[in-house]
Amino acid sequence: MDDRIVEFIRGLRAAGVRISLAESIDALHAVETLGVGEKGIFRQSLRATLVKESDDFQAFDELFPLYFGSGGPPMQNAAEELSEDEQEMLQAALSALSGRLQQLMDWLTSGEGPSKEELEELAQRAGAQWAQNPQEGHWITRRMLRQMGFEHLEELIQQLMQRLQEMGMSQDAIEKLMGVVQANREALAEQVAQQIGLQIAQDRAQRSDRLDTSDLMHKPFAALSEEEMEVLRREVRRLVTQLRSRAALRRKRGKKGKFDAKGTIRANQRYGGVPFEMRLKKKKLKPSLVLLCDVSRSTEAVVEFMLHLTQQLDDQVSKMSSFAFYDRLIPMPQDVMVLLGDQQGDAAFDAIRRLLPYRPYGTDLGNSLEIFCEKHLSTVTGRTTLIVLGDARNNFNSPRIDLVKELQRRARRLIWLNPEMETQWGTGDSDMLDYVPCCDAAYSVRNLAQLSTAVDRLLTGH
Amino acid sequence: MFQDINDVRERLGQQQYIASEEIGTVVYLAQSLCKPILAEGPAGVGKTELAKAWAGALQNPLVRLQCYEGLDESKALYEWEYAKQMLYTQLLRDTLHDFLGDAGSLAEAAGRLAQEEDVFFSESFLLPRPLLTALTSEEPVVLLIDEIDRADVEFEAFLLEVLSDFQVSIPELGTISARHQPMVLLTSNNTRELSEALKRRCLYLFVDYPSRESELDIVRLKVPGLSPDLARQAVEVVQQLRNMDLRKVPSISETLDWARALVALNARQIDEETMRNTLTVLLKYESDVARARRLMSNGGSQRPGQRPGPGQRPGGGQYGR
Repeated sequence: MDDRIVEFIRGLRAAGVRISLAESIDALHAVETLGVGEKGIFRQSLRATLVKESDDFQAFDELFPLYFGSGGPPMQNAAEELSEDEQEMLQAALSALSGRLQQLMDWLTSGEGPSKEELEELAQRAGAQWAQNPQEGHWITRRMLRQMGFEHLEELIQQLMQRLQEMGMSQDAIEKLMGVVQANREALAEQVAQQIGLQIAQDRAQRSDRLDTSDLMHKPFAALSEEEMEVLRREVRRLVTQLRSRAALRRKRGKKGKFDAKGTIRANQRYGGVPFEMRLKKKKLKPSLVLLCDVSRSTEAVVEFMLHLTQQLDDQVSKMSSFAFYDRLIPMPQDVMVLLGDQQGDAAFDAIRRLLPYRPYGTDLGNSLEIFCEKHLSTVTGRTTLIVLGDARNNFNSPRIDLVKELQRRARRLIWLNPEMETQWGTGDSDMLDYVPCCDAAYSVRNLAQLSTAVDRLLTGH
Repeated sequence: MFQDINDVRERLGQQQYIASEEIGTVVYLAQSLCKPILAEGPAGVGKTELAKAWAGALQNPLVRLQCYEGLDESKALYEWEYAKQMLYTQLLRDTLHDFLGDAGSLAEAAGRLAQEEDVFFSESFLLPRPLLTALTSEEPVVLLIDEIDRADVEFEAFLLEVLSDFQVSIPELGTISARHQPMVLLTSNNTRELSEALKRRCLYLFVDYPSRESELDIVRLKVPGLSPDLARQAVEVVQQLRNMDLRKVPSISETLDWARALVALNARQIDEETMRNTLTVLLKYESDVARARRLMSNGGSQRPGQRPGPGQRPGGGQYGR
């Protein structure tokens, strides 16, 4: 039983449920305590110990019957209740059928379904090995049943009844026989469906080349497929929790600041000035962020994740404002942030495109910086961390280094996040190498792992 | 201590808490594996009540820690009672004077005082807060950590230490470990994601709105004054409201309030007028009330829209008061 549970846990993990070793041990302990006698309780003891997220209940509910199902309802032997004569008649009637159909009727009347090997071979032929997740099992099952001859079953039963009647079997016996065959037919279909579901789930658990989020984290944004983007979008939620607890812990440790003389005197007035309570200055560690995002095609993915991350982490920053630029600069519209929050990255970018229409070679960083300095300079103060997220490919427009220098002087820090590799900086129309000396730090953020490290550094506030 | 799952359900039932099999299983497992329970689910489905019933069933005291934003260790664990320390120093001034009076130098006096400072940092000046109370209690307790999702992430990390070893260290007194490991129930309304480390240490219980039958059972148990016919109608209305796209759908506590209101108003049947007068007991937003009224005046001809969100799972938590 333990093996089966461990297998089940592997199946769950393959379905995207995160289960630690400690939780698997808990599950085994729980089963030890409560036993496997009652299925409902067994199911609940596994769920309480393994699944800690109500979103994952669905995966659990899908997989549980596959791993711990009875393998479908049992089939009955129709021949048992027949007299010897009748059995002979049945055999004769069956032998008149052609190979594949004879086999099917044989299974249905004898109550002994196909053997495990036969099922596996059928599954193979139906293409079960190509299925990605148990939902696809329905298709495979249907295909398998068709191969087994289920679609001709109605006619077949009619034929068989007729032939048995001609042979002189009693109406009563025929009806009984057909009743059993009908029941067995449903049982067999159910058995096949369960077998296929299980097989697909197990295959998935064993497949090593499935989409692994930790690998995806290191895959460059530019190379991500739509499906992989989806996986990562879900991953962001977990990433945010991690970043947030790291930032919070850091702030907790950093709370012990310098001695606060004024605060101490004030706090101890109630003790007649005897200094009982010591007050420490709280360090202001929550940074205030201003984010300038290049929204050209080449940076879409990185901008989406950056905005998503910073938006989710807004309780870790004291203030946050973001701007989008392309050929000119606009404040990031509110509905874009809402769409991003709903994980609708494409719709969000459509909204931005409506305001900043796309045209080839349109990026003009110099102009955008000029607009920023004219209209929004007041957002940058001595406490602001200014972040520019873009590839600095300026289409040979003026880079306006002077404005960047000015901004760097005004802000607490100026950080440049570039989605290109460092060796590509300065090649072609990239002005990155000119910008780098003006920045307090410049990082390359080619993938989600690098991006989350960069955001983590931003939150440290120094 | 509970004998088995049925014992759990029975004894919770005696505390007027109708526990599903799921709840029974998880509570029993928490006891036998010595693990905290993390109960999640919408507000008002009886997560907090479960802790009360649990404590009642075991006849152990309940220690409750209500979480809120800004809750820190000193509010949750212990504080030094400054005022009392201050008062004692004032009252003992003469004794101190005698004690220190014959000291030759300031350094000697300070030295003597330092030897006695344990007096002022002893347990009698310690103000225990819920966590320390639960750890030092003479008998086993049920510790309810309510709405953990409202506390800051820092506090969650601190709680993790306490929940894994069941001991805390107080610099002046040393390490205090639990006399009896408390039974812990954490509740969360899922307003934010909890850290994985915390979830890993807990058994997970998702408490959802009850099915029609169990809700009817609860109403019958809690509001016996309501006629069975009316109770059925009332539950029916609430179940329908839950399927509507409302800002805040009524939970079990609101169903019970409404049932009590119906009894108080001596309602014979749930007609349009009774509905109009009492709908505000069930719905807490003006827009929701208006919406529900509009649908009701349509005579229910319009199918209520399916509420988006987590799937409707049968079973789940039951409320008791």
